[in-house]
Amino acid sequence: MKDDRKQFWLGVRDLLPLGSGVLPFGLIVGATGGSLGMSPEMVLGMSALFFAGSAQLAAYSLIQDNAPFVIIVATAIVVNLRFAIYSATFAPLLGPLPKRYRFTLAYMLSDQTYGLCSMPAQMQKTTPERIWYLAGVTLALYVTWLISVTLGIVLGAGIPAHWSLEFTIPLAFLAMLITTITSRLLFMVAVISGCCAIAFQLLPFNSGFIVAVAAGVLGGLLLPSWLKRKGSHE
Amino acid sequence: MSDNLQLWLLFVAVGLGTFLIRLSFIQFHGSAESLIARSKHILMLLPPAILAALCIPAIVFTRPLTDYQPDYYQWAAALVAILVARFSRSVFWPVVGGMICLWLLRYFTG
Repeated sequence: MKDDRKQFWLGVRDLLPLGSGVLPFGLIVGATGGSLGMSPEMVLGMSALFFAGSAQLAAYSLIQDNAPFVIIVATAIVVNLRFAIYSATFAPLLGPLPKRYRFTLAYMLSDQTYGLCSMPAQMQKTTPERIWYLAGVTLALYVTWLISVTLGIVLGAGIPAHWSLEFTIPLAFLAMLITTITSRLLFMVAVISGCCAIAFQLLPFNSGFIVAVAAGVLGGLLLPSWLKRKGSHE
Repeated sequence: MSDNLQLWLLFVAVGLGTFLIRLSFIQFHGSAESLIARSKHILMLLPPAILAALCIPAIVFTRPLTDYQPDYYQWAAALVAILVARFSRSVFWPVVGGMICLWLLRYFTG
């Protein structure tokens, strides 16, 4: 039991270097939230409830556009669909736990938890050791995230409106987009989706976003076979 | 969509939905592994589609959306962000680079 607890603090320690990546992102989320006119406790509450930075930025830009409730919820959930992969990854580990631990740890699953806890070195540990390690990483990240957002709110409050701080939102998405494009197919998906987003931005209720995402994914599914068929004709 | 109560409802709804996604496979441990195997391809295509749809219109045109003025300074800032993103894998430095470019362009042209 004592050794298992040690794994908790090992998890906390391993998370700390990742804080250098989390901190700036939290700063952006905190500062832009304030620049949209939300009160500090709203931005903090939102961060605690979402615990997902990119979904929060997506919600910001839609709130700014006065998008309807349902569209914002749908968009944030589509952005968070990747968590299903993490959920599947840790299902054998967390599934058998009692409800209160299962729910708490599931609530705080994140990209960083996935990165640290699915590494090959972790697989050699016993199951209790892995759970304690995951709990350490996860809790440390949750605290780091809220501290970063708070700092962002405080620092962002001093930045004047004509600096257009809200433009950091699309820039942050653009930076994420560049890192996700790892193949020519994914590049084509981004081009299709981006063009459709511009073409359909006048659709009512901001539904153009959902249409663009669907078009991009559909293109990604159909393009490979279409190109193959075209290639075989030549 | 700016009424505070409505915003809190929105936060709770998204928080709950996100929690359910995170819980999904953990809760149904042992009965849904084949579903994720089948949907993995779509899940891989989603991030670039979502991110492009989120950022491209907001970069090409000025906000609020009703104006629909193309903003060339924003285009330049985006180009700088893309260049920085190719060297640094973090989100922070491309944003800093793009914003500095935008501020400089606006400063020198009044």
